[in-house]
Amino acid sequence: MSKYYDLIYRAYHGPMLGEEDWDLEKVAGTTSRLVRKYKLTWDPNQIITDDPGLADTIFAAGLELAKTLGVYSRSTGRVIEFSGDELEEGLRNMPQTLEFGEGKDARTLYARKICDERAPLVWAGSSGSPMPENLFKKAMMSYAQEPIVDMINSFSLTSVNGVEVRTSGPMEIAAVRREMLMARSVLREAGRPGMAVLAAASAVSELGDLAAANPVYMPPTDAHLVPMLNELKMDNGNLSRAVNGIEYGVRNASLPCVIVGGLGGDVPGCAVINVASFILANLVCLADYHLLHPIHVRHVATSTRGVMWVENIVAQAFARNAPAIIVTDSFPKSGAMTRELLYETAATAILSTVSGGHLEGPAAADGAANHSSGLEARLMGEVGKAVTQQRLSLREANEMVLKLLAKYEHIFELPGGNPGLSFDQVYDLETLKPIPAWKAMYDEVKVELREMGLTALH
Amino acid sequence: MDTQAMIEDIRKAIIEGDKTATTYATQTALDAGVNALTILNQGLTAGIDEVGDLFEQGEYFLPELMLSGRAMQAGLGLVKPIIEAQNLDQSNDDTGTVVIATIQSDIHDIGKNLVASMLSAGGFTVYDLGVDVPVQTIVAKAKEVKADLIAVSALLTTSQPFMRDLVDILNATGARDQYKVMVGGASVTPEYAEKIGADGTSANAVEAVRLAHRLIHEKHGMGK
Repeated sequence: MSKYYDLIYRAYHGPMLGEEDWDLEKVAGTTSRLVRKYKLTWDPNQIITDDPGLADTIFAAGLELAKTLGVYSRSTGRVIEFSGDELEEGLRNMPQTLEFGEGKDARTLYARKICDERAPLVWAGSSGSPMPENLFKKAMMSYAQEPIVDMINSFSLTSVNGVEVRTSGPMEIAAVRREMLMARSVLREAGRPGMAVLAAASAVSELGDLAAANPVYMPPTDAHLVPMLNELKMDNGNLSRAVNGIEYGVRNASLPCVIVGGLGGDVPGCAVINVASFILANLVCLADYHLLHPIHVRHVATSTRGVMWVENIVAQAFARNAPAIIVTDSFPKSGAMTRELLYETAATAILSTVSGGHLEGPAAADGAANHSSGLEARLMGEVGKAVTQQRLSLREANEMVLKLLAKYEHIFELPGGNPGLSFDQVYDLETLKPIPAWKAMYDEVKVELREMGLTALH
Repeated sequence: MDTQAMIEDIRKAIIEGDKTATTYATQTALDAGVNALTILNQGLTAGIDEVGDLFEQGEYFLPELMLSGRAMQAGLGLVKPIIEAQNLDQSNDDTGTVVIATIQSDIHDIGKNLVASMLSAGGFTVYDLGVDVPVQTIVAKAKEVKADLIAVSALLTTSQPFMRDLVDILNATGARDQYKVMVGGASVTPEYAEKIGADGTSANAVEAVRLAHRLIHEKHGMGK
């Protein structure tokens, strides 16, 4: 791990540069040049591509971007540079399998292939959504009780003992520890005490991440986030998260949320930045695995055409050129008790499964409110399994996603989004079952999915 | 070159995000005696309005916005002093001075950067204080530059309470009426903005600029 301390040294001694110059001249300028050099384009009607050459070219462009730029440290105003050999060594060392959780609840994530016949694992839950303390356990149980769920996400507590939680202060520590104790309690009650958690959702700063580093809260068989900042940036807070995991051993999930329509410009440029981010995250985030989570500059959601194209091509690019464990984050625009949430969930699950990813989410309503429930996570897993059982091809998957887009794409023009209802409005809090109307909607959408051609969906 | 052609050069330079060309075309028009308000309204502002439309249509992206914003500021730097010196009629001017920041404890800045770029492009004088900015620093800067508007963002729900602190401090120091306050971020709703006593929020950067214009118009109408 001494290499990581060398990386931190570089963050304090690399070339100095203004942040706006990094954004415009380095990231935007170089990406634009690479898009022209490699003649990268996208087709909004080919959300799932069947073009191996294109995936390889995107990978080559991303590698070139990573070699050309490195990573900017916002804390020091310096560039952390890497040699090509270092980046390629990082690619070669990416884990191909990784065990999470303990005992009978342990699961092994693995690097999936394009159209892999093995079902994707299901990492369920609305990661980081704000959740009131009184609903936390019931909402989490709605996921933990689903047999199809392999690992679980947690929520951010908005209060502890009625006291408002604030980032980077004493209440963040309190929230992290309360959250994880409640999460472990839920898993024991569900009969799945060894299930791995993406911990801790209340740890929005490094202070919270440090507070979680104890087996009582976040055992080393859990995962935690080591995010990158937009684009190709780190700061000391996120470097501290990586350092926190070095001796402790918890799995590092890299999280670069590349913005589609941001500094990368149009969709192909953002795919190039996402590839470069993963390559660099191997070193700056000490990534054990990667969360694929591009977001849309205006709509946020991961279910827009452009964002889905990026997810598809990045997963395929790695599956073909440098197999890695990739988990695709689903953040639909719509909330619980809307048909569109189920369509968005199905579309992103189909896409991820055939492109080489595992499934994570869904964090409904952009994850901005507690408008998620275990039912849509059940659908996500069921769709993923059906896709592999049916051995859906890339072309068939694309046709299905286009049909689903036609059913939900109008929501991006709704002035207030499509937030649906909160968890306590769509689940019976006594029985922890979805209310009949929500369950009926789920059943109806499954019929529609079968009629669209997903015949293996049970 | 006739006036219309010179104005068209300015408009095109803004759309292309070319700071050097904007400076040259604006200075050329001023030297030729073209009215500064005409340059502002028909050249610079017309160009930047088109940039906003292109962004909304998905034709332009963040880099283009940032480059056009830089070009716009260069043009404004030439025409605004003349407009003020000549005391030309600016009764329709609904721009002003903005202090913008990602609020204390939050480091997410892409939304804030988008809004800052678009406000800058829209003719506002923008002081961008960066990320994780203490509330007291924001208030002090607003006082120092005599801001019309304070705009703060938070992605994290647990950073939102610092937005409420900002409004509380302005109220407690008797300074609330001096500034309009906009709040933003993925989890900020109109209900939340109203609850903490802010003047508004918007769903995206394009709407944020419209809101800023409206708030400045209201503020000027209040007899500043």
